[in-house]
Amino acid sequence: MNGIFKVLTFILITFVIITGILLPIPEIPALGDKARVLYFHVPMSWISVLAFFMSMWYSIRYLKTRESDYDLKSFSSAQLGFLFCILATATGSLWAKFNWGSFWNWDPRQTSIFILLMIYGAYFALRSAIDSEEQRAKLSSVYSIIAGVTVPFFVFIMPRLVESLHPDPIINSQGKIHMDSTMLTVFLTSLVGFTMLYLWILNLKFRLERLQIKKLKTIED
Amino acid sequence: MNSLYDFLETNSMYVVLLIVLIIWIGIFIYLKSMDSKIKKLEKD
Repeated sequence: MNGIFKVLTFILITFVIITGILLPIPEIPALGDKARVLYFHVPMSWISVLAFFMSMWYSIRYLKTRESDYDLKSFSSAQLGFLFCILATATGSLWAKFNWGSFWNWDPRQTSIFILLMIYGAYFALRSAIDSEEQRAKLSSVYSIIAGVTVPFFVFIMPRLVESLHPDPIINSQGKIHMDSTMLTVFLTSLVGFTMLYLWILNLKFRLERLQIKKLKTIED
Repeated sequence: MNSLYDFLETNSMYVVLLIVLIIWIGIFIYLKSMDSKIKKLEKD
């Protein structure tokens, strides 16, 4: 990760914060100014999906090569996915209080994200329950792949199958994007900016995990 | 200074913006410092 990457991440997210809060948005029925939550809530959800997929990808790589670095990357990515999933749930719930009248009403979107959190919660429980490093890496990789397969179902398919109060997904059932061009620019910038932030934090988390393992090995020796 | 205060008092959206920017700058500086600390540890 070079300096330019970090500076660009800073510029993009700062741009999103300023324009997202200050730029006028078109009149959206039933949403009003609360529609601005889109610039921050949707990227959280997107990053959690991306992070879970990355975790699955690194798990596949681990099972193929048996290099422990891949296991650490998979674990780091799952942790970040879990964190961003909680952020998406919390921001969505706060928004729901003012749009639907209650923080939690088991809407299909809320139910599916809750199940997803449970699935990945079990992943961390599994990891912490196994002492042997190799065994842990192997079993959690298999689990991460199975969990990753369920992600598209809970995020993209299930909420579209059942009647939901959630605003039209960005790419809706007709496969079209209905958004004002200014809003779309800010939204896409937000997606790029937060994705870069995720990649940066993932890099930091992985390096930290690797250092910790190195330290533990020197202590054992 | 007084005029800035008056401006913020009448445009409350800018107060929100200022708060969010302070949080973001804080997080960014924290990540940057963590990055350099990890780099130092990796060199040792």
